[in-house]
Amino acid sequence: MIRMIGIRLFDTIPTVLLVLTLVFVALRLLPGDPALVALGDYATPEQLNLFREQMGLNAPLWLQYITFTWNMITLDFGRSLISNVPVVDILARNLPYTIELTVVATGMGLLAGIPLGVMAAVYRNKAPDNGVRAFSLVGYAIPDFYLGAVLLIVFALNLGWFPISGGGHDFASRMHHIFLPAVTLAMVKSAFIGRLTRTSLLEVLGRDYVRTARAKGAREGRVIFRHGLRNALLPVTTGLGLSLLATLSGSVAIELVFNRPGIGSVLINAIAERDYPVIQAGVVVFAFFVVLINLLIDLAYIAIDPRIRVK
Amino acid sequence: MGISRRAFLAQASALGAVASVGFNVNIAQAQQSDTITIALAARAPNGVNPQQTGLTGGDNWAIHQVFNTLVKADPGTFATTPEEFRPSLAESWESSDDARTWTYHLRRGVEFHGGYGEMTAADVLFTFGRQLDPSIVTNGKVLYQNIQGVEAPDDYTVVFTLERPDPLFNGSCIATLPANIISRAAFEERGDEFNHSPVGTGPYEVVDFSTDGIVLQAFEDHFDGIAATPNLRIAFIADTTARTLAFASGEVDMIEGVRSPGWIPQMQQRSADTIFDATAPGSFNSLHLNLTQAPLDDLRVRQAIRYAINNEQIAAAYGELATPMVGVIASQFPGSVSKESLPENLRYEHNIERARELLAEAGYPDGVMISAFTSQREDYASIMLIVQEQLRAAGIELDLQIIDHSTFHADNRSARNAMPLQSSSYPPVPTQPLLQWLSASAVVQPDGTGQNNFSHYGVAIDGVDDLLEQVQDEPDFERRIALVEEIEQKVLTDLPLLGIITLSYVIARNPRIDLGFEVQSGYAYWPLNQARVVS
Repeated sequence: MIRMIGIRLFDTIPTVLLVLTLVFVALRLLPGDPALVALGDYATPEQLNLFREQMGLNAPLWLQYITFTWNMITLDFGRSLISNVPVVDILARNLPYTIELTVVATGMGLLAGIPLGVMAAVYRNKAPDNGVRAFSLVGYAIPDFYLGAVLLIVFALNLGWFPISGGGHDFASRMHHIFLPAVTLAMVKSAFIGRLTRTSLLEVLGRDYVRTARAKGAREGRVIFRHGLRNALLPVTTGLGLSLLATLSGSVAIELVFNRPGIGSVLINAIAERDYPVIQAGVVVFAFFVVLINLLIDLAYIAIDPRIRVK
Repeated sequence: MGISRRAFLAQASALGAVASVGFNVNIAQAQQSDTITIALAARAPNGVNPQQTGLTGGDNWAIHQVFNTLVKADPGTFATTPEEFRPSLAESWESSDDARTWTYHLRRGVEFHGGYGEMTAADVLFTFGRQLDPSIVTNGKVLYQNIQGVEAPDDYTVVFTLERPDPLFNGSCIATLPANIISRAAFEERGDEFNHSPVGTGPYEVVDFSTDGIVLQAFEDHFDGIAATPNLRIAFIADTTARTLAFASGEVDMIEGVRSPGWIPQMQQRSADTIFDATAPGSFNSLHLNLTQAPLDDLRVRQAIRYAINNEQIAAAYGELATPMVGVIASQFPGSVSKESLPENLRYEHNIERARELLAEAGYPDGVMISAFTSQREDYASIMLIVQEQLRAAGIELDLQIIDHSTFHADNRSARNAMPLQSSSYPPVPTQPLLQWLSASAVVQPDGTGQNNFSHYGVAIDGVDDLLEQVQDEPDFERRIALVEEIEQKVLTDLPLLGIITLSYVIARNPRIDLGFEVQSGYAYWPLNQARVVS
């Protein structure tokens, strides 16, 4: 197992290097000037030049690339060009909020999505199935920023049950703050997972071994959950991984609407300000999560289906 | 080593729970009568050091509460003449007849926060020394270019010597945000950490700095008396909807407004008793015409554009936030010209027919196409879209691209834009916009090494450089203003740039907060030491 993890991690090194190179090149191709953002439009040419000199932006590109790659390998993320705060601090402040939102929203999505999917498959083409289908359609169709704003207005502004903005501090307040944004994301996720579970379970329920299970007199519950769902969860796991990655990088709208700290809005802001070190470090962190989540999915396959073993 | 499926699932769940708990941040909550919260439109604070670069509007608010300058304007105003400045860290000051030597007598017994002792001339020298040192990158260095030297004959006297006379030295430099006095001892001790735990002399001191915002506490030993409200929280909410909801819920007491048409009426619909504090003039929005590019090199085309653009109509779209401009300088400031004071031919009353005639005279009877780009920022984009519609009525087709804000500024500085709209906030120091926008030495360069003369005035055609030299050598305020008015007339004759509107900086305030004064003009931040919760 450990060897497998090691091999998988080793395999990702070229991928990460490629990502780093792409980010470096893309950023340098982008028009805009971090010096102008930091010093303002009326800065003197001398000060702009001095700023670029001190931040290493005047060095030849190949030297900047080598310095950048070396710094990334040694995990030296540098400082923000705009605020001069160490990038590690910026990530440490924001990343936990993104992770907790992703975990809680995905958990909620699973808890709602799988039962809905099972119900839809079991009562195929009957009222519950139609209901779930309608829910999925709505879940897919409503943009998350809109749903978020509606939930905020109803449950935070009018009813006053939840805070309007922020990420919270201690455990209780963080859970209080996370509820509405997590529900917003979970709504879309449960729609997605519900559809996936339904399709996958229907396919499995048509298999020979399910018929055999029924023929030998197994109870319907046992047939569906033990023989059906267990085997239907593999595609759901893949879908779940994709959904996790989408939430990590794509919850910017939710962060903005709920004014939550988070890595998505940090990156969007950094791109607007051409804050190269923050963008580069953010992308490296995302690349790391892509690797990690893929690894976790592989491990989950093994956990769910004992037939899959490390070769 | 093996791991059972059950163990894996259990451990994975535990990991999820730990990730959710994360770490703790401690910050005071709003909605208490001993705390006032203001939310600004930025993602997170960058620092509370007046000399650091990359400050956001919210950071400026904090700096204004934590530090003091040597002299100041009355709260909620700009000092528009030399007489209107008030003592702050300096009790009194005088300038020589040639306005080149300025002597400040410091107040005695002013204490820095955190037990850093009395503020003396050494701290003032340190503050300005850093700004004058060309090898240190600091905020607003351009404001110090005229200072030749600064010295302290004793602990409570500071003398500035200027290269050229400046009767408005207090406004052009001393009372600006980067000139706030910092503690030398604290700065040398804390280094980079000073940005997040600054030491000033202001009515509030910083007690917490985090992603959530900046928490300030009243400084008991403040020389001007303790602040009316014990705690001040400066929150950062970038999204307009989120900020508005936070305000509506009472979670924050004041929020930064949006400079777009219809925002105030929309807010009033939600809650009729909301108070709007707005600075007039606010930002100057000027349209710069690139004199090196056809057809803008033809005066008749520029005149046609001037006749076609209706400043009053654009200002009306913004309601009480905007005032139409006539020349380069906002009508509220000395040196500006009014339509009534101008000869008939320089008033450019909105006239589509006249615009079409001028275009025909210039050889464009069927209209003309001009390509330009502007920023996606709300104020830029909305003004330019209105301008585009107005020009279309006169047969001028503006092929307008709306692009990312950073790219917009960088491309403007590289002389790529034929018609950049520039939005800038200026104090009532008329030489600042004139020098930055109209002097030949500030002309933009294709390689980005130039400055902000986007029109190439004084290079493409004769400009106002001689007059600018005279203004800068004039020690008398009144005579200086008269020269500025002469420049305004010359600019209106040549039309290298067109004043469009001024746009106020606006804060929506919950009526339960009393500021202690009325906001009329001034920078985009004001003192909160008299602010209190009244109901």
